[in-house]
Amino acid sequence: MRASPPPSEPVPAITGEDFLKFKEFFYRKTGINFESAKRYFVDKRLVERIEATRTGDFRGYFTLLRFQDSGEELQQLTNLMTVNETYFLREEYQFRCLVDSILPEIVQRRTGSHPIRIWCIPSSSGEEPYSVAMYLMEMWSGISDWDVEIISSDIDTSILRRARAARYSIRSVQHVPALWLEKYFKGVANEYQLCDDLRQAVEFTRVNLSEPADTFRYRNFDVIFCRNLLIYFDDVSRKTAAETFYEALNPGGYICLGHSESMSRISPLFKVCKFPEAIVYRKGLEAR
Amino acid sequence: MGLVKRKAIPPAEAAKPKQEQSCMELAACLEDADPRTRRRAARDMLHCPHAAGVLASRLNREPDTAVREVILTTLVRLNDPSAAGRMADCLRSEDAALRNEVIEAIGLLACDVSDVLRSLLADPDPDIRIFAVNILDSRRQPDVESWLIEVIERDAHLNVCATAVDVLCEAGSEAAVDPLLRLKDRFRSEAFIQFAANRALKSIRGA
Repeated sequence: MRASPPPSEPVPAITGEDFLKFKEFFYRKTGINFESAKRYFVDKRLVERIEATRTGDFRGYFTLLRFQDSGEELQQLTNLMTVNETYFLREEYQFRCLVDSILPEIVQRRTGSHPIRIWCIPSSSGEEPYSVAMYLMEMWSGISDWDVEIISSDIDTSILRRARAARYSIRSVQHVPALWLEKYFKGVANEYQLCDDLRQAVEFTRVNLSEPADTFRYRNFDVIFCRNLLIYFDDVSRKTAAETFYEALNPGGYICLGHSESMSRISPLFKVCKFPEAIVYRKGLEAR
Repeated sequence: MGLVKRKAIPPAEAAKPKQEQSCMELAACLEDADPRTRRRAARDMLHCPHAAGVLASRLNREPDTAVREVILTTLVRLNDPSAAGRMADCLRSEDAALRNEVIEAIGLLACDVSDVLRSLLADPDPDIRIFAVNILDSRRQPDVESWLIEVIERDAHLNVCATAVDVLCEAGSEAAVDPLLRLKDRFRSEAFIQFAANRALKSIRGA
């Protein structure tokens, strides 16, 4: 008979000092800032990882987090600490703005035939970049004349796997018109599997927006969707992110933020563009 | 034509600059004619020793808003108290945009900038003292009220006091009531101060 493993010791509670230490470290690594109001959310996940890694207490876990060569645990924890709540065609007016105002303006001044490049960050589980792809196919006549590349990035590697798999709950597709649902999805055991054509149209990549070594490869974009991410950043990280987007955009390129976010409160780098469908932000045409 | 997927993002190794630039090279790049080069240099100087001084000295001469923005963000991230004084020099610039950018940036510095603020609040130029109050407004430090009270108790200039009163409407507590009453007394014939102080008193007492 095999003896059952001894019950593990309960993890000592995370103290206020531990929280502050972790908060500073995590902010430095990811740009994500947790206020004290998020204490319960953070503590719960820290305890979960202390148990999973059998490091015993915060001190042991923090040592692992800081000194692990592979950075694997930091990635695991980041996956847990990020919020991935979205659905298809969320804030649809911005997609309408994309096809009715932004893209026509971009192609009008385009010289040459190089592809239009769109960057969606964060990708979360893929609903947003796939919504962009679907919207372009269904609502933009220019798709027959132009190549479009959609790149979508996230800091969370497990959510990127889910995005590539592209299988969704009923709740996630509830705003997709019936015809599109029929055309692009297949029902699989109470879920919806996105068709391969759209899955293959989006390139998913892992990016930490606060890490220049990650972001320097992201250049020559015409449109960036960065919705409901910067609300988790503090002022300085928001500014740094805005500067990263500025570098990533072509002159005259656009950035679309979530409805509660305003670039004007973050950075003076972009100009406000009031289109009939939405307010978006643009890098100056004369900018380099 | 249509949706295409190629390797749209080059792998890190392929895209990496051939060699990292040294801090001296980066400092030289800050003087480059191309704003893109200056912008990237300003960003990459984050890990250079003495970067704060080099960046701050470029700030006053930098004509490109986007480069200035990156310089200021890097200065804020460096969080070096010595940079605050150099940044504050730009408050004397004729360029209003630069002045506002600097007010915001000093407001974001996490380090202690009391010495700089004290010196700005003692400046003979009332405009500089007003900017100092603006910085106090943008900094979320807990002792902001006591700084503002000191301003309304001591500063002789009406506009400096009025700016401080304006901030006290939001940041003031019972501790500001008597100083506000004394301010009203000091500027008895100034209708605007009477109005602003009454508004602040109402806001504090109503809170």
